[in-house]
Amino acid sequence: MEAKRQVPLREIFKVFLIIGATGFGGGMAVVSLVERTCVHEKKWVTLDEFMHGIAFGQILGPFSLNSCTFVGYYLRGVMGGIAAAVGFIAPSFCLISFLSWLYFKFHELPELQSALKGTNPVVIGLILVAAVGMGKAKIKSRTAWLMAPLAFAASAFFNVSALLILVVAALWALARAWYKRENA
Amino acid sequence: MGIVKLAFIFLRIGLIFFGGGYVLIPLLHRIMVDRLHWLTLSEFLDGVALSQLTPGPLAMLATFTGFKAGGVIGALVSTVFIFLPCTTLMLFLSSRYERLRNMELVRGTLDGILPAVVGLVAAAAYALGKTSLLSLRDFLLLGVGFVILQFTRISPMFVILGAGAIGYLFHFA
Repeated sequence: MEAKRQVPLREIFKVFLIIGATGFGGGMAVVSLVERTCVHEKKWVTLDEFMHGIAFGQILGPFSLNSCTFVGYYLRGVMGGIAAAVGFIAPSFCLISFLSWLYFKFHELPELQSALKGTNPVVIGLILVAAVGMGKAKIKSRTAWLMAPLAFAASAFFNVSALLILVVAALWALARAWYKRENA
Repeated sequence: MGIVKLAFIFLRIGLIFFGGGYVLIPLLHRIMVDRLHWLTLSEFLDGVALSQLTPGPLAMLATFTGFKAGGVIGALVSTVFIFLPCTTLMLFLSSRYERLRNMELVRGTLDGILPAVVGLVAAAAYALGKTSLLSLRDFLLLGVGFVILQFTRISPMFVILGAGAIGYLFHFA
């Protein structure tokens, strides 16, 4: 195996700072940005590894933050994870602190909602691009063609939690892996 | 308001909000509005709206609440402590990951759930679309955004910020 290139902590911090300053839409929008930047542009992690990270992140609460922490850790261990997490949160922290100050001092919120109305459709486009890319790479077998739409429908139409969907998928995948090994 | 108490409260909230952001709203509402009276109901609702304006997770509500309780220091302490548990756990999980994935069964399981992850990503697009694709204009923006992001190398940062500027300047309602 080729030795991992040491990515400077400063670089990790910078990349996630930019993601944290532009990932309006939150959640999957941020995940899609991280995927685009860290998997495709920088080639820091492979798509498989990153998708494992998304799955872990879904289990542990705020998955936008978690997927940043995961990539940071993968590159540079604990310090890398912290650099990525702090970089990602810092812009939102500054923005909220500033807006909170305005709010509690003047009891007014600036008209940012209309800006968000502009970003939302584009963010959906961003997430779709990520989903299409992941789908092309990962939906090849017949089982995959079954599992992906099922997971989509469960989450989109029946409000099943991501955690439950992933646990069921993991049990199924584990059973398959077990079966394959026993009958190899 | 003691900073230590603030830290302790948000650490505890951080420990229980595994499983997704939206359990956080009723939980924080009970603690901040009903029990501690740190925020009025309308302040709380404005805080939720505010935290959804940012790229950060919904838990950024902690920053808002902390700011009211203790200024910038309060905001900083609340933010650090609400994210401490999940970040620590995520670091721990990531550290096991590289070792575990070399085990054949774990690897098979992890790779087996990837189609479900694709489904979840697509479902997020659907959920966002259901609430924010309301007019022809929105679909137009979606189409243009998708084409730019899929077929050009223009940075998504510019695309998102540009769309935000358009929405702001043209007063999207």
